[in-house]
Amino acid sequence: MSKNQTGFAGRYFGMKADQFRYGWQKAKNNKVCYLFLAPYAILFFTFFILPIGTSIFYGFTYYNILEPARFIGVDNYVNLVLQDDVFLTSVKNTFVIAVITGPVGYILSFMFAWFINELPKWLRAIAVVIFYAPSIAGNAYSIFSIIFRGDAYGYLNAILLNLGFIDAPMLWLTNPAYIMPVLIFVILWMSMGTGFLSFVAGFQGIDKSMYEAGYVDGVRNRWQELYHITLPSMKPMLLFGAVMSITSAFNVCDVPRALAGFPSTDYAARTVVTHLFDYGFSRFEMGYASAIATLLFLVMILCKKFISAALEKVGT
Amino acid sequence: MSNKNNYKSSGTLLLGGKKLRGELIAEERKACFVSKKQTIELPYPEIAVLKNVRNGGMASTITIKMQDQTEYVFSLPNGLKVYHYMDQQWDNRPRSMSRADELHRLAEMRGERIVKPRKHLFKRRRPNRSLGGDLGIYIMLALVACLMAFPLVFAVSSALKPLDELFRFPPTIFPQHPTIDNFSDLIVTMGQSWVPFSRYILNTVFITAVGTFGHLVIASMAAFVLAKYDFPGGRFFFGVVTTALMFSGYVTGIPNYVIMSKLNMIDTYWALLLPAFAAPIGLFMMKQFMEGLPTALIEAAKIDGAKEFRIFWSIVMPNVKPAWLTVIIFSVQSLWNTSASTVIYSEAKKTLVFALQQIQAGGIARTGQAAAVTVVVMAVPIIIFVLSQSQILETMASSGIKD
Repeated sequence: MSKNQTGFAGRYFGMKADQFRYGWQKAKNNKVCYLFLAPYAILFFTFFILPIGTSIFYGFTYYNILEPARFIGVDNYVNLVLQDDVFLTSVKNTFVIAVITGPVGYILSFMFAWFINELPKWLRAIAVVIFYAPSIAGNAYSIFSIIFRGDAYGYLNAILLNLGFIDAPMLWLTNPAYIMPVLIFVILWMSMGTGFLSFVAGFQGIDKSMYEAGYVDGVRNRWQELYHITLPSMKPMLLFGAVMSITSAFNVCDVPRALAGFPSTDYAARTVVTHLFDYGFSRFEMGYASAIATLLFLVMILCKKFISAALEKVGT
Repeated sequence: MSNKNNYKSSGTLLLGGKKLRGELIAEERKACFVSKKQTIELPYPEIAVLKNVRNGGMASTITIKMQDQTEYVFSLPNGLKVYHYMDQQWDNRPRSMSRADELHRLAEMRGERIVKPRKHLFKRRRPNRSLGGDLGIYIMLALVACLMAFPLVFAVSSALKPLDELFRFPPTIFPQHPTIDNFSDLIVTMGQSWVPFSRYILNTVFITAVGTFGHLVIASMAAFVLAKYDFPGGRFFFGVVTTALMFSGYVTGIPNYVIMSKLNMIDTYWALLLPAFAAPIGLFMMKQFMEGLPTALIEAAKIDGAKEFRIFWSIVMPNVKPAWLTVIIFSVQSLWNTSASTVIYSEAKKTLVFALQQIQAGGIARTGQAAAVTVVVMAVPIIIFVLSQSQILETMASSGIKD
């Protein structure tokens, strides 16, 4: 029995060693690959991987750049959850924004890409530009500060006053009750981004003969076509689009800062990222900010894992 | 490989027992056979018989008999797509009447009334598409498109409004007396800035150009080996990059600031350039696109004795131009829009967008100029996208993430 076990272990480690030797040989044969990869890998490690490590490390310290970091255990995290009411507000806001704009923006991108795909070619090109433009138009969202301006010269107020729906201008961007809906509207307006482009391209790449085959096999309307043929062949694009919309849903920062001010009334437009900015670049409490960043990293990675698991089931 | 729309194809011409190798080119008024030794022109009106050819069809052997009874036999292994103008003689041939035509003629002779088929208002629908559904989609797309475009149109029209119209009640969508005063005011304000305004422009152009170029080269090199070589760690590395697509500049901002301050990079261009070199989206797009490149191309070059760098530079890179453009555009977009307010402190190194945002933040008196700024900033990426849309979509078609 015991002999058998050592035999098994021996064989197991022997196999591992073989695998390792094989891998090492392969690596040696492909030395030049590492040379090609090196410049990118070094920079990527420094500015995308190291930051995660750094933020985990500094998350456990008090650090303000000037003094050396002082280890304080999990105090930052405890403070975040138990004492920082503004952080809880920001989590709530980010959560609301992410839960609404993430899935809705994602589904809208997909639906519009699908609809646009039905258009004739020349019209399709125009439609893609119109839908994609808001997300690349730099700080064009700042025009909403004129549209939603709080006095009677604001566009929305003027229309509503003229039509008689309201009798005094509404403070769209300063009244905490309206800030969130306005922000969500603006973010949705900008949500046709890279994922949307990927969908548009994906639809064009689907083999037309699959639809004909589907027709013969009894697919009878566009919705059945979508579910049984289109969605399964778009899975890779769907995952890419999901990653893109997670990114934009959790990284809301510029829009609230430009529209609602920084800080906003009653912190009504405070998101996790603006909170992080506040602590990092206004108060230079890098340790505390790092703790926030760590949490954000964690949530985003979990979200991606969850979505790729959910997409596995699409169309089956 | 058969070309879809070839007007020319190389092959052999059989002429009086001699074989000539060359190219057959179909032009609008004549076909030409071009070989090293001679060029034979075949004007279409003189073509008497054209065998083996249907209009628009692919032919691998074509026999052309001219009116002077010379016969040319072409064998074209790649086929040649022949268009109506080439075989117009062929089109004018007497045709046997079809069954329908015959019935029609008989009915006419008997004096029966012929019911013409009703013309359809719309083209025949594709299978699985209902008219109502299509109409609904068109109407909805039109409405949403208006909603999407409205703020951008509004931005442009505000930039063209004179001051009194900007504060008119009720506000108008389109300016009654469009003027470019706001833009000229903007130039005046620029001229009064503490640091010469050209400096901001120069900074942004420098950062955008260098950042994009470096990113393109470094990311393409990495993408090339990740796409075309199987080496330990490659797949893992790409998985990490895919996850890192989610780490935007905001989340990594704080730790990056700490890292850069340790590397003494704060307040230098490097703080903007180096992270831009390593942007995950560029590598991701490039790698996915390069996977579609035929491996045979690289194998062939290897057999010819080309080293990896030569393969990369003179074979792979020229073949992935759409991906280049896409990477360049994504990179230009993000670098052009960067305000870099957190890592750059000296005024002389700040970017154009930062300076423009300062003008924009000038309060109510600068409303017109702020709109002009918005237009200036948004015009660049949108114009670039409009010009390169088809290439970008070609690249995006391979953007999916496969698990």
